[in-house]
Amino acid sequence: MFLIDCPYCGEREQSEFKAGGEAHIVRPKQPTELSDDEWAEYLFMRKNIKGIQFERWIHIHGCRKWFNVARDTSNDVIKVVYKMGEKPPTI
Amino acid sequence: MLNYTNVITEKKTYSGLQMDEIKPVMKLIIRGKKREFLSAIGKSLNLLLPTSANTSSKSEKLSALWLSPDEWMIYSNEISSPNNNHYETENLLNKNICKTNLGAVTDVTDQFVLINMRGDKIFDLLETGSPFNFNNFREKKGAVTQTILAKIDVIIHNQNQNEVNLFVRRSFSQHLFSWMNDSASRL
Ligand SMILES: [Zn+2]
Repeated sequence: MFLIDCPYCGEREQSEFKAGGEAHIVRPKQPTELSDDEWAEYLFMRKNIKGIQFERWIHIHGCRKWFNVARDTSNDVIKVVYKMGEKPPTI
Repeated sequence: MLNYTNVITEKKTYSGLQMDEIKPVMKLIIRGKKREFLSAIGKSLNLLLPTSANTSSKSEKLSALWLSPDEWMIYSNEISSPNNNHYETENLLNKNICKTNLGAVTDVTDQFVLINMRGDKIFDLLETGSPFNFNNFREKKGAVTQTILAKIDVIIHNQNQNEVNLFVRRSFSQHLFSWMNDSASRL
């Protein structure tokens, strides 16, 4: 368990949130022009790194807004929280 | 508010805590982002919507709760007539907000059950089933939060010293109220 600083509501407990997987994966502009392998790459392949990972989270039991989080997956320390549409910060 | 089955039928009293349902109370969810939306609401209701997080505002007749940067709940301070479910406020907002495409207005009167809690043990009870930190919240009149209580989504409005309004979806309300009673009996 850890605390997440919702950019809208402030610091709340993790159980109020839901994780939405890796952030900044861009949907291909022309899916029909992709090979099956390329499409599968976009759809399924995730980095799943040990260390700082950029993720999407939603404050599902609060304001119901999506936002981005840079979390160290090895110890759950959250480095930065930033809004949807913003570029990932350099850490 | 017509012909629905009551889920919370009696007022419960414990030492330092009383709980009962208040009804019928008009409740609306309003959503919008534009600046014109905020000013149209302000003009229509003579009530400024709270724009800072976890706060509320109040006029003589209505309370407005901040739920999200583009979502608010408005509810009536006084109970309304049990014989109809047409609300002046809703009609007014339909005209000034919906018809002008500024935002959305949804009547959630029957969706949410309002449980009124009184006494100095309110937060002792809430703390037994919620991950929310009530330390600052309890001191702040008008504070609002959405959180979980016994795994159920709730909206909590700190009305006054020792008075809290709690909103829960109707289908969860009977279970939540029985959980609250169980928890209150053990405080
Ligand atoms: Zn939030």
